[in-house]
This record gives sequence, structure tokens and C-alpha cells, in this order.
Amino acid sequence: MGVLEIALIVGCVAIVTGVVVSRIVRKKRGGTTCDCGCDCAHCAGCARSAEREGDSKGINHLAKR
Amino acid sequence: MKRFALAGNPNCGKTTLFNSLTGSTAHVGNWPGVTVDKRDGVYKKTPEPVAIVDLPGIYSLSPYTPEEVIARNYILDEKPDCVINIVDATNLERNLYLTTQILEIDVPMVIALNMMDEVEKAGDKIDAELLSSRLGVPVVKISALKENGLKDLMETAYAASLKERVGTTVLEESSLAHLIGDVRIALKGQGVKGPLFHAIKLVENDSIEVEMHKETIPMIDEFKATHEDDVFGDDFEALVADARYKYISEYFAPALSKKKQEKFSMSRSDKADKVLTHKVWGIPIFLVILFAIFHLTFSEDFLYLGAIFKLPTLEDLGLLTEDADPLHYGVRLLACIYDGAVFSPGVIINNIWNNMLVGELFGRLGGLVEGSSMAPWAVGLINNGIFDGISSVLSFLPPILVLFLFFSILEDSGYMARIAFILDRMFRRFGLSGRAFMPMIMGFGCSVPAMINTRTLADDKERTATVRVIPFFSCGAKLPILTAVAGAIVAYFGVGNADVITFLMYLLGIVTAVVTVLLMRNTTLKGETPPFIMELPAYHAPQFKNLMAHLWDKTKHFVKKAFTIILASTIVIWFLTHFSFNWHFLEDEAINESILAGVSQLVQPIFTPLGFGSQLGQFGWVFVVAAVAGLIAKENVIATFATLASCLVAMANLNIGGLDIAAEEGIDAVQAMILATGISVPALIAFIAFNMTTIPCFAAVGTAKAELGDKKRFNGTLIFWITSSYAVAAMIYTIGSWWWTAFIWAAVAAAATALVVLKNKRAAKTVKAV
Repeated sequence: MGVLEIALIVGCVAIVTGVVVSRIVRKKRGGTTCDCGCDCAHCAGCARSAEREGDSKGINHLAKR
Repeated sequence: MKRFALAGNPNCGKTTLFNSLTGSTAHVGNWPGVTVDKRDGVYKKTPEPVAIVDLPGIYSLSPYTPEEVIARNYILDEKPDCVINIVDATNLERNLYLTTQILEIDVPMVIALNMMDEVEKAGDKIDAELLSSRLGVPVVKISALKENGLKDLMETAYAASLKERVGTTVLEESSLAHLIGDVRIALKGQGVKGPLFHAIKLVENDSIEVEMHKETIPMIDEFKATHEDDVFGDDFEALVADARYKYISEYFAPALSKKKQEKFSMSRSDKADKVLTHKVWGIPIFLVILFAIFHLTFSEDFLYLGAIFKLPTLEDLGLLTEDADPLHYGVRLLACIYDGAVFSPGVIINNIWNNMLVGELFGRLGGLVEGSSMAPWAVGLINNGIFDGISSVLSFLPPILVLFLFFSILEDSGYMARIAFILDRMFRRFGLSGRAFMPMIMGFGCSVPAMINTRTLADDKERTATVRVIPFFSCGAKLPILTAVAGAIVAYFGVGNADVITFLMYLLGIVTAVVTVLLMRNTTLKGETPPFIMELPAYHAPQFKNLMAHLWDKTKHFVKKAFTIILASTIVIWFLTHFSFNWHFLEDEAINESILAGVSQLVQPIFTPLGFGSQLGQFGWVFVVAAVAGLIAKENVIATFATLASCLVAMANLNIGGLDIAAEEGIDAVQAMILATGISVPALIAFIAFNMTTIPCFAAVGTAKAELGDKKRFNGTLIFWITSSYAVAAMIYTIGSWWWTAFIWAAVAAAATALVVLKNKRAAKTVKAV
């Protein structure tokens, strides 16, 4: 196996683990998993920080029926 | 850092102002309820940088829907350094109703009279100084859209934020003044901060305040017992609202001087609405507009001119021959626009992108890899795995953008809000209000923001039903599946027309949504349909800046996805198809012995009733893999097709080597699958339907979980998606293959309907008896 092949395998492993790890980290930090990195136009809606989780919990019962 | 909150009625221009101040590209739409969560940005032109917080629109500080709670809680609990109350100057009196409530909070405040350009255009005038002196807070005239007066607004807001402000109320002169005063003193005695606002809300019987001050309620009830009103009786909410409006019309409204009108005349919006929201023609006009959008995006025969006039092909004209110079860009460009018919604008952009840019780029890159000294497996991984997968996904960028552009135009012009209005009557029959249409239509772009937008729905059950059916409104990521499979059906079987098939599949999604909502609202999610009240915004020409922001955002999202999750998935799929269970490398020809084939063949029989299971023989598992890969992200379906088709093409015994997998936007990849498996047209349509209605991507599933909150309801949602997609695909496959099975499905549907009706009647009788 030559240098190029080894580099290719290392690159592939880095990409796959990078994508998986970044999604896990983003989710742990309270971000979205939708790959937009919380910077899409809709996204203040989709970014879901821990604080916001707290906001939305119980929101439905607070809203007037 | 100081924090300024933007608060105001829905659709008064808060997000437009937010974007102008912070340079953000937050989603702006010409309908009430676009923003459902707060978002932050920074304004840097004040003496110190200021954090700007855009809040969801509210009509009052007594919230009815979850997103209104977010706005109220922010102003009350987070205590921003200044509240910039955006007032739609074209609707002054109604907007000032919220202003009178914010005034009651102990927070610095500035009024931004937005849309002043519209007011001046209509010949009206607003005396900002008079308004400011009567309100007791600064008033600044602005136009967020034209970015007029923004500097003045921010300087005023910054100056206001440096001073303390104590809440005031317009109810001082009303008959309620004594009652409010008594409650205020009582709350002050209890050490409640900002007692004026809380006192008024308690008098109003605001549910949140009642919950917060339970122990004070008996005392307040005693105070209330001494208050009498001949008109409203003990309806204190109405009493307070009436007092506010009386004050507004007496003291604030005179600030507006309208241009004298000779007689009543209809505005242009009213005239357009007479046609577009017509009770009979409204829905047919909407369907025609929808079809026109699909025709302009997907049709290879614009206005069917080719079919009508029997236009010659490029080959007939002697321009495109077998031995033509492939580098002749003139002919290639012409072939992107015309070949026996003029292509629709969407197809032209698509052809140029794919034939002259993506195809060219990946073709050259592939050539470089082929010519390198790398081992054959490495060349295969890069060319057939990575390049084919990514290029097949990227090739769909133009149709997604063109389709999205048309939807953005409809949204920005104000027409979308009308559709919600005209569909309300129809939706009501199925148990939803017209308001539910807005998140549904957002689902055509992406299910994630659409599900979040359901926060604008006040009824929990209606919200759950809407979240469940949103994935049926085919999102941009599903478009590649639709167009590639539809294109392959047309190319291989010579059946139908790609734009008609695509349009019909979108309609199928809508019909499935309607039928399942009807079913849910009559069984598990029974409940009354809430009333639908929505302010119809005036029509305006779509803003170029907004449209481009929408498109840029979509492009960024799509490309980012292609080079992250899709790239990672294609690598994993390539490895799983090129290694056996004992970790031996497999050539393309031997993918049937791979790990992926082994696992997929185990679950393949489950899909037999849908037409892409065991009946497809040894290579049938490729459809199963594609469908499962789509659960991560729907773009994966087409990327998986490309990766697997590259292997199928390499098999000499299948005799399908002439296909170019990277070309024709995945159509050739699907054709390779058809040739290898012998799949039928009904099974292919069932495959599209299954992917359109099954569990959406991971991101949408996560959003549904967060939005629904309740674990039981979320699990029910997952089961709902699996069963409905299975039933729809099975129905399409069986009826398409054996027409008489339609009677069996009809009988099942009739029996189910009868069962539900009988059960509901019995339940109604029991309730009556009780």
C-alpha cells in the first residue's frame, strides 16, 4: 500500500469520525443536528440551546387555551 | 453588553429590522408568525456594541400560543436594557394595543414607527412628537425595509437605555383605576417587583399571573366584587381591552391625519384578493399556480411548444451528431436550452449546471484520479464512491433552488397567507385550521423549521397532527429522489412526463396528509378545531434581497450537507459494499457478498409488499439500502444509488456498462438499478411514495421529539410514519400491479371509516347520557 492509499484511508476515517463527533458535540452543546450549524435563516428557530430547552418545557401549559 | 429587544405585532417588520441592524439573514416572510423563537445579533454603531434580540410577534402580553410565551417571558424575566416596540404605522391603532401593555413594565422603551414610507405614499401623516408626548416615550419614524431612520432609532434607544423607567398605564383614567390601584398596593406590599403590570394582568384574569399569585387571588376577587359594569359584567379581560382601545382612539389616534378620500376605494390588494381568495376559484387558482411552478421548474417542453408545433431535434438540424466535437461549447449550450422543445427555465439552469459545470468538474477530477498511480480499489473509492455520490447530490441543487425561489416569491408577496385563508374552510372539515397550512407549506422547503413553526398553533392535538404530517410535504432533500426516479421511469419505460409525475407525487403527499389528519382527528387526536383568525398582509413585490438571502441560505445548507453527512455516508456505504464479513476486500462485481448486501438481504422480504423486496432477486437489496440510508438524510438515497449503481455497471453479466452514473442527475443510476433488478413502474412509484412518507431524516426526527415533548406522543409519531408510509406504498404497488386490488383497498377503507364513525357515535351517545 502506497502513501496515497494510506492518506486516503486516513482521510476517510477522519471525515467519518469528524462528522459523527461534530454532531454529537453540537448536540451536547445544545445545538441542532440538522447540519446547518445554527446559521441558516430559519435557524434561530432550530438552534435549541439548553436554556431554550428550559424555555420550551412547559410552554404549552402556559399558553392560554 | 446591553441587550435591546425587538417586540411588536406579528408581521410588523421586526425580523426585517433585525436583519438590517445586525446584517443577519434571518428568515423573513410576508405573513404573521414567521418567527417562533428569539434570536440574537449584534449592532455595532452605538457607543458600545448592543445585542439585538428579535422576538416572535405578539398581539398582547397575554399569550395564547407557545411562541407568544417566549416573547412575554423575555420582556418580563430577562429585563432587556431597552424594548424597541415596532409599530406598523399603517395599522397604528391596533398596534398600539400592545404598546399600552409594554408601557406598564418597568423597562426603558422606544417606539419605532415602521413602514413610514407606506404611510407617506398613501398621503397620510403621523405626528410623532404628539404621539411621543402622549405616550411618554420616544417615538422614531423608520422604514426597516428601506433602512431609513435606523441610526436615529438606535441612538434614541441607546440614550433611553441609560435611564431607569417606571411603568405607566393608560388605564389611570378608566373606571378600573381604583381596582388596579388596590391590587397594585397589595402586590407592592408583598414585595412584587414591577407591581403595575402584574396588577393589571391579575385584574384581567391572565392565566399565567393567576398561577403565579395564587395566594392573592381571594383578595383580588374581593376587590373585584365591588366593581360593577353594565356592559361587560364581570368579564374583566374585555373591560381592560375596551378601556385600552378607548384611550388609544381618544388620545393616540389623533396623531394620525389621513388624506381625505372622496369616496371609499379598494386598494390594489383588495382588488387582487377579490380574485385570488374567491370562494370558488381560490383553490383552482392555487392548484394552477402550483402546477405552473412545477412546469417552470421541471418541464422539458416549455408551454408544450415542442408537442404542439412538432419542433425538430438538434439531431434533425444536423447540429448534434455522433461525431460532433464534444468540446463545442456553443452546441452544448444550445443543447442545454433546446432539443426538440424549448426547456423550462428550471431545466435550462439545471442542464447548464450539470452538463457544463458539475459534470465537467467531476469528469476532469475523475480523469486525474484514473491517471494517477493509485491502486484500483482507491480509484474506485474516490471515483465511484465519493465523486459519484457527491456529484449526484450536487446535481440537484438547481431544481431545488428554482423551486424554492418560486415558493419564496409566493411567500414574500403575501399570497401564501391567502392560501391559508382560502384553505381554512377545507381544512376545518379535516379537523385542522387554516393556520396549520403555513407550517405545512414550509415543509416543502425543510421539515425542521416547519415543525418548529407549529408553535403558532394554539391547540396541542392540532399541533401534534400537523407535526406528524409535515414530512408528507416533500422537502427539498426528497426532490432528488422524485426527479431521478421519475426521470428514469420516463427514460426507461417511456411512461408519462417527468414534471407531471413529480407534480402528482407532490399531490400524493398532500392527499396522504389530508387523509391521515382526518383519521387522527377522528380517532387518537380528537378535539375541536380552534378558530382561525389571521391578519392578511398587503401584497407587495417580493424583495430581491430577501429572495437572494433565502436562496443563498438554501445553497449553503445543501452544499455543506453534501460535503459532511453525505460524504461520510457514501464512504461508509462504499466500504460496507466492498468488504465481506471476514474483512476481505471485494471487487465491484462481487458486491453481493458484501456486509451491506448480507444485512440488507435479511430485511429485504419486509419490503416485498411494496414491490422492492424479495421479488427483485439478488440485487433487490440496493433499494432497501437506499431507503434506509435516507433515514440519515434524504439526499443519501440518491448518493447511495450512485455508489451502488457504479458497482452494478461494472458487472459484465448485467450488460449495463453504457450508462454514465454521474450524468443525468441520477437518472442513469436509477436506470442501472432497473436493469439489474427488473423493478416495475408501480414498484418505483411505491419506492418514491415510501421515501416521501416514511420517517424523515434524523434532524426532523430530533425536532419532532423536541417539539412534541411527550414521549408517548413521539413514539406514536414514529409508528405513524412507519405504518402510513408502508400502507401508502403497498397500496400504490398492489393497485398499480393488479388493478382489481383497488376494490380490496376500498373495502378496507370503507370498513375502517364505518368503524370510526360508529365508535364516535357511540362515544357521543355516552357523553350525552352522562
